[in-house]
Amino acid sequence: MSETQILKPLKTWSHLAARRRKPSEYEIVSANLHYNDRDPNSPYELDPDMFMNTWYKKNTFGTSLKHDDWNAFRDPDEVVYRTYNLMQDGQETYVFSLFDQFSQREHDKALDARWAGSLARFYTPARYLFHTVQMASAYVGQVSPASTITNCNYFQMADSLRWLSHTAYRTRELSLQFADKGFGVDERKYWETDPVWQGFRELMEKTLTVWDWGEAIVVLNLVAKPAIEESVLRKLGEAARHNGDTLLGLITDAELIDSARHRRWVGAFVKQALETPGNLEIIRGWIAKWEPLADKAIDAYCALLPDVADAAASAKAATRDFRHSLGL
Amino acid sequence: MAVLNRMDWYDLARTTNWTPSYVTEDELFPPKLSGDFGLPQNAWEKYDEPYKQTYPEYVKVQRDKDAGAYSVKAALERSRIFENADPGWKSVMKAHYGAIARGEYAAASAEARMMRFSKAPGMRNMSTLGCLDEIRHGQMQLYFPHEHVSKDRQMDWAFKAYDTNEWAMIAARHFFDDIMMTRDAISVSIMLTFSFETGFTNMQFLGLAADAAEAGDHTFANLISSIQTDESRHAQIGGPALKVLIENGQKAEAQKRVDIAVWGAWKLFSVLTGPIMDYYTPLEHRKQSFKEFMEEWIVAQFERALTDMGLDLPWYWDIFLKDIAQTHHGMHLGAYYWRPTLWWNPAAGVTPDERAWLEEKYPGWNDTWGQCWDVFIDNVVDGNMAKAYPETLPYVCNMCQLPILGTPGKGWNVKDYPLEYKGRLYHFGSEVDRWVFEQEPERYAGHLSIVDRFLAGMIQPMDLGGALQYMGLAPGEIGDDAHNYAWAEIYRALRAAKKAS
Repeated sequence: MSETQILKPLKTWSHLAARRRKPSEYEIVSANLHYNDRDPNSPYELDPDMFMNTWYKKNTFGTSLKHDDWNAFRDPDEVVYRTYNLMQDGQETYVFSLFDQFSQREHDKALDARWAGSLARFYTPARYLFHTVQMASAYVGQVSPASTITNCNYFQMADSLRWLSHTAYRTRELSLQFADKGFGVDERKYWETDPVWQGFRELMEKTLTVWDWGEAIVVLNLVAKPAIEESVLRKLGEAARHNGDTLLGLITDAELIDSARHRRWVGAFVKQALETPGNLEIIRGWIAKWEPLADKAIDAYCALLPDVADAAASAKAATRDFRHSLGL
Repeated sequence: MAVLNRMDWYDLARTTNWTPSYVTEDELFPPKLSGDFGLPQNAWEKYDEPYKQTYPEYVKVQRDKDAGAYSVKAALERSRIFENADPGWKSVMKAHYGAIARGEYAAASAEARMMRFSKAPGMRNMSTLGCLDEIRHGQMQLYFPHEHVSKDRQMDWAFKAYDTNEWAMIAARHFFDDIMMTRDAISVSIMLTFSFETGFTNMQFLGLAADAAEAGDHTFANLISSIQTDESRHAQIGGPALKVLIENGQKAEAQKRVDIAVWGAWKLFSVLTGPIMDYYTPLEHRKQSFKEFMEEWIVAQFERALTDMGLDLPWYWDIFLKDIAQTHHGMHLGAYYWRPTLWWNPAAGVTPDERAWLEEKYPGWNDTWGQCWDVFIDNVVDGNMAKAYPETLPYVCNMCQLPILGTPGKGWNVKDYPLEYKGRLYHFGSEVDRWVFEQEPERYAGHLSIVDRFLAGMIQPMDLGGALQYMGLAPGEIGDDAHNYAWAEIYRALRAAKKAS
């Protein structure tokens, strides 16, 4: 052993040291954290052919969306746990100050009863929809091949719980003002049977059963989420403003700040994916396969949304603009 | 009225089950991922988490917690605690971070499995927060040791350990992969949160925090007690799931999962936590013995948690109670003897004073483990270092992946528990390890222990050098005595004094 070189301490983790530049806190605590890629035959330290090993071999590492080094992915916002809480605590303080202020001004009292009916139909059932985004993000995160990609999906999962929580909060508040509109009671019925929601329910039930990681991350983030955000956040917010519901407009705006952050990581992800020849066609193929379902969902929801001109056309165009901006 | 109370809207936020119609319930919640207990969604809607927290509360509380832990770190950054710490204490930190940090990060994905696949809406929201918690624990326990990488190459293993075939890491991965990475949502809630986090992480984090505070390492003490406050919330995810299972006639399946997870946790703790508490932590900073910590956190508290839940004590409880006074001494002796295969420098912990403490805490220690150490100490004192290092590998168990061992001395009882399954002969270190294998052989059968790999010629050359290379350990990283055998001077002096008289 005397001839062997004795390893000296490095300035950072050995896996980051070769690059000779100072890593950020984000890289130190986020990059290359999964260990299930060390043995292609057995992602987990058990029988290589047991159920979950087969699942990951097939759905994570066997996807047709390939890249030599998914671990090179970096979130453009470099969100780490502690900055996430700093950021979102600030955002929640803002939203709850809106709740407080509008409640003191008796905002809900001034709402038109007809608009309240629209809220019961178009807004409060969205808690189910946001929950499907929470679930889908949790799945994409757990099967992502790089921890930096996983983390973006987990923060997105938490943001979906945030949207769901705002919705639940407002549902209860509205139920106090409008006892006859079914707030807090009828949301499941709307979600399961109202034509307005069936497109999104079909889209999300099917999205939730895409197990291949490559297809799942594309369908959720490039097709389903943009459709939801352009309709149920942006167009609903517009409808709210046209009906004197300033509060809902401000809430959806606050939620769209999360969505804008999500789109930044999705943009970086697509850019990385397109480094591999053939991926452009694969991604376009998945979009072509899923876009009709998303369009159908937008149509069903937006067609009946009150007081927004050309809501469906404009929402569909916005989803395409987003994809086009990424070269898709 | 200004702002609603949390409980005004909490239940609505967890009323999120719906009846799918574009896919079937089994497609939305595949039984192998969801938990194949034959229970429909509405059975799980009774799930009621005892620890309730909303999203806005979560981000606020966690922001404050982080501010606390990170400011202690910042304040003490220039305090040279690491540089001045006893080498035994440094080894505690190295072993802890290496075996724990990325395992905690992996637990985020176990939480995400519960989030996506549990049919209980309350569990789905709690696991969302639990998932964030585990990102926190992974990230903090990488950020804090990173401060020390430039001082000590072994600190690189806080990150690197999980990528290697180092034997203790094979054991750690085998256990964590078994209970949390490859199970369905409900089993994760039972095996990870109820069985592991309720008792064992409590003990690792609070026990070690007590020792750290004693040792003056306030950064570490603060870090891990802050982590424990999260654990005590998300560890409660499993309890209500057990309740639902028991109410629906699934007690036996629930009990089996608890029994498997507790045994695996115990074995891993016997090699990682036992030696840390009873040998590495400087004598004057030891708050309690490992056995006492085990009795407090696992025996007393966990026993109560089990019976409160309507479960039985694991069938092997008498074996377990006997083992908590013994197994870790053997694990320490083995790990220390094979110290080049560690990424930390183990402290021998066998000065006369330390032996007196061990004898007091474990009556009979000198007649059993002490006898082996006597031989080792003589070799060191004689300068016969060739005999103080290993030449071969020990035999390891096909379940816990740890050496098969017994207690030396008159009661020498080492025994192999073999099993032939589909033409292959497996070896286990205990009746319980073999029982675990027998519950679901297809989970484990195709796995090769490090000794199986050695015998299959996968480790070349077939000597210690080849083994170290296979484990990813190079000079500068490989372990040796924490105190560079300085403790042997006491025995040298004793021998000289004896001679003189």
